[in-house]
This record gives sequence, structure tokens and C-alpha cells, in this order.
Amino acid sequence: MPYLADLEKSGIPTVIINYDEETGKVEHDSVVFGIPKLRHIVASRNSPGGVEEAEKLAQPILDALTRPLNAEEKKSGKWSPKEKRVLFEGTLEEAEEFYHQTENLPGILNAPFATYTDGLPVIIPTEEKVKEMLTGTSHRPDELITLQRDSAVQGFGAVETGYKQKKGDVVKFMPMYRTATVEQVAVNAVMAGCKPEYFPVVLALAESGGGTGDGRGGGGSFVVSGPIYKEIGMNVTNSLFGPGNPANKTIGRVGSLFWRNLGGYKETVTTITTIGSPVTNGGLMFAEYAEGLPKGWKGLNEELGFKKNESVLMSFRAGSWGVGQQNAPGVYRSLQRTGHGAIARFLDVKGIVGPHNYLEYLTKDLWATMEGGVTLVFPPQIAQDMSDYGFKTKQSIYEWLWKRSFEPVKNFKLRGNQDFVTNGWLGIEKTSGKHWKELSDDYMVPAGGDDPFGSYNIMIMNMQETACARFSGGGHSQGYSIDAWR
Amino acid sequence: MAVTKEKVYKCLNPVGNQEPVETFPLAPRLKSLAGKTVHLSICGEADIWVPLEKKFKTEYPDINWTVHKRFHIVPMELTEEERKTTDAVILGVCW
Repeated sequence: MPYLADLEKSGIPTVIINYDEETGKVEHDSVVFGIPKLRHIVASRNSPGGVEEAEKLAQPILDALTRPLNAEEKKSGKWSPKEKRVLFEGTLEEAEEFYHQTENLPGILNAPFATYTDGLPVIIPTEEKVKEMLTGTSHRPDELITLQRDSAVQGFGAVETGYKQKKGDVVKFMPMYRTATVEQVAVNAVMAGCKPEYFPVVLALAESGGGTGDGRGGGGSFVVSGPIYKEIGMNVTNSLFGPGNPANKTIGRVGSLFWRNLGGYKETVTTITTIGSPVTNGGLMFAEYAEGLPKGWKGLNEELGFKKNESVLMSFRAGSWGVGQQNAPGVYRSLQRTGHGAIARFLDVKGIVGPHNYLEYLTKDLWATMEGGVTLVFPPQIAQDMSDYGFKTKQSIYEWLWKRSFEPVKNFKLRGNQDFVTNGWLGIEKTSGKHWKELSDDYMVPAGGDDPFGSYNIMIMNMQETACARFSGGGHSQGYSIDAWR
Repeated sequence: MAVTKEKVYKCLNPVGNQEPVETFPLAPRLKSLAGKTVHLSICGEADIWVPLEKKFKTEYPDINWTVHKRFHIVPMELTEEERKTTDAVILGVCW
């Protein structure tokens, strides 16, 4: 849309073809980008082969380039919707009703969609509660959320492109490209149930764009690295991904509220998602237990260029949960302690005491039905075993995993996303620097992401049980200083 | 019996700030497309484009058609040089 807006403003007439359900989004974006009367032609997804649709649409498309402008289309002006600071005055009971209101959206078959919440009950953001939340930071309430250092935002798969930002740039919350003050972030933090001591983490989360992505952010997933996890009582041990811990649950939830409130997400109206994700629905937030790292392995904060004693937040995209081969924790112990059990048979090390390379078992055929990298969350014992086996750094595991994902071009061509990733095979293959079409069918390329560091991540949790959590996606992206928001 | 009034609270707004946007008129339309250069910016889902591109090029030979094709949803933009010789743009199928 910014491209079309630029063309129209420079005097080149345009028309956009959109699918039926995208109409609201196109009309909305045309306002945000300053060409509210952009001409668009609505197409159907259900035309076999597109032939019938092309017959139907060709003339209207050409007419849109030649039909003289009407009075509305010739108008210029300003669009400046105003939001008031105090949204509601009344008793708490009345406020409960107000903040939990919904509207029925035709685009989702008139199902109710929350006006100010993520669909769950919220704490009412009274002026007193917001003031209390603001005691969690030294930043002024009216300060705009800006980048605290230069940032390179990572692209996501085939559908989102990366971009660079500079320190001081105002953070835009998607899909409405809105900005926010420290106080507005505090309002959402109150609503999510956060405590004031969590607030620097929430502000770092806001600096990261708050899980709003390109507008289809889904609320996002986040990880904290550094000593703050202990200060605010994040659970880094058993059930760290489960219920019960207020910090993990409420901070993670803020991303969904940012998306709805700061970003203006309204399904089928301001953005179009597909089906959402049960992994990030409700917020995915966890923290690293750096005390459990084997000697030589860096914590995430250090991996991202910060110091060991600095607290940082990383935003990432968690994909499918529980990828890789399954095993009971006891089977893992049998492998390493005595060389017995299923994994020992698989690795052909029966009767030989470990350390053995468990990753060979875990990742067997991992990329047969998925693409891109993975994040592995190890308990200290598995991390130590992998270190003893020979992986003296996390990076060495990232490289091992990435290399394991290589497959011949002829197999890679049969994957679903590659027409997008390779731009219809017209782009450059990154490991060779050659055009895709120059490569032989037997040339080996990675199905597991563009590079080891960007596609893979190892995190440590504190747990005696030798089970590991694993999910597709993650890797490493920009880190945001939590300390900068204290 | 004394009537107590329930406390009234001021409750704050969680919605972000929409920065003001200057809105512009559309570019003037063309009187006719004959002899003009019309650019097809093909991106995102290409299904409709296969017959549409063919139809345009076959049935409107008096228009000079140029094409940028990209499978990504973000379109491949015209260069500054290309803009100088382009009279109109058709983009799709995405936003």
C-alpha cells in the first residue's frame, strides 16, 4: 500500500486487485497511507483457473485507470482521529461492563470481538492503578516509546521482510502504525494484570513492537535473559510453559493487548490473519536459567551482544510445538548413563555409557515435514551431556543442526513455501551465491533456515527431569534492553 | 438509612495514538490507454494473473504492457527510471 500511495501522489494512476475478504483491510490501509479513495477491484478466490474471473475483471480494471475522478476522489485533507486520555468515568462495576464490551464483526460471521481486550477479563485501568504501574520505571509517562538502540528487525519466512531502525526512532504498533506513550503502555500492563516491578520488561516488549509484527503479529512470543527474571519471580523451572506463575502469564499476555489496543488489530477490518496460533494465543513468555549453562556456553544476553549481567528481551516467532522425535525422559537417562533403551538402539551404542549425541535421535527426519530452524529448551543435564559430547558452544549446535537440514535441490523444489522463498526460483541461493536455476538437482541446500544463528536457539531451563521443550521457529533476532527501561 | 454513593473512577485509555495523516486526491486518470505504458505489478497470489495477463496482452495490443513479477506479497517496485515512462499501474493480488 505505501508503494501505491507513493505512485498516486506522484501522479501515476493505479488500481489494486484484492480478494473479497481483504476489502476492509485495503480500504483501511488506503486511509492510513493518505489515499483514502484508492480504486480497488474485488476478485473471488473461487474462480477455477482464474479464467472466468479474468474475463469479469479485465474491463473494470482498465476503467479504473480511465474513468474521470469524482468530487470525493479529488479531495485532499487530513485524517486525524483523536483518542482521549480518560476513556471512561464511572463505578468499577460500570467500568467492568464498558471495558469488556464486544462488537459483532461480519468478517468473522458476526462472532463477538472484544473492543479493548484480548477476550479475557482485564483489570480496570483506573488512574490510580496506572500511576502505581508507572512507579516501575524512571521514564516519564508522556514519553513516546522509541528504540533505545539501533535495531535490525528480522523478516519472517516467506511473508514478512526484515528492515532496519535507528536509536530514537518512534516505535509503530501494527496494523494501524500507531504510536504509544509510556503511560499508554502502562494502561495495557495494568489490564493484563502485571505488577509495577514487571514494567521495565513490559516496556522492552513495547520497544520490540509488542508482538504486533506487520499487523498479523498474533501477540508474539518473548524470552527474557538476565538477572531480572529472578527479581520479578519468573518461573524458569518445572511448568515454565504452564499456568501458575503471574510474571510469565501476565507479561506474555500484554502482547495481545498491545496488538488489539496500541496497534488497532481488528480481525478482517484492520488486518487479515489466517487461523492464529494456539502457541502464542494468551502470550508465550519465558526466561532463561543462565545458571544452568555448561562452561563455555553463552547466555542469550551475551549471544545478542549484551553483557552477562544485563537483562534483555527478545521477540521471536514460535511455530509448531513439540517437533522432533518423542522419548520419555527416562529413556534419555538410560541412553547416557548405561547405553540402554530405545535411543541407544537407534544410535547403535547399546551398552556404551554416554555422552552420546542425543540430537541425532531428536532431529531424525525433522525437516521431512517442516522448514526453517528450531528452538530447543534444555534442562542443565542435557546441556551438560551435549557439552561433554563435544558441543563446546551453543553456536556449534546451531551449525550442526543447520547442516543436518541440507537436502538435494530436487527435494527442496517439492516443498510448499519455496516458490515464495526463492521468488519463483528467480532469486539467489544463499550458500552458493548462484541463481537457483543454475544449480543441479543434486546440489545440497538447507531446508532448515538461512543461517545457523538466525534460525536456531538453545535455551536452558532449570529442571532435574531430562525432558526438553522444542518448537519450530525462534532463532535469534534483535535483543531489547530491559535495563534501559528501569 | 444513609445513602452512600459508590466511588467514581477515572479509567484510562489503552488505545495507541493515530498520527495525523495528510490525505491526497487520486492521480488524474488517463483519457485513453491507447499508446500508453501500463505496468502490471504481479505479486502474492498469481492464479488470476495467468489468464489476466494473457487477456490484456492479446486483446489490448495498442497498450504497451510492462511487467514486474514477484511471488512475495511485497511488490517489486518500479525504479525511478521506469517511473518516468510508466503511465499507469495495476497491482495485485494483495495489499
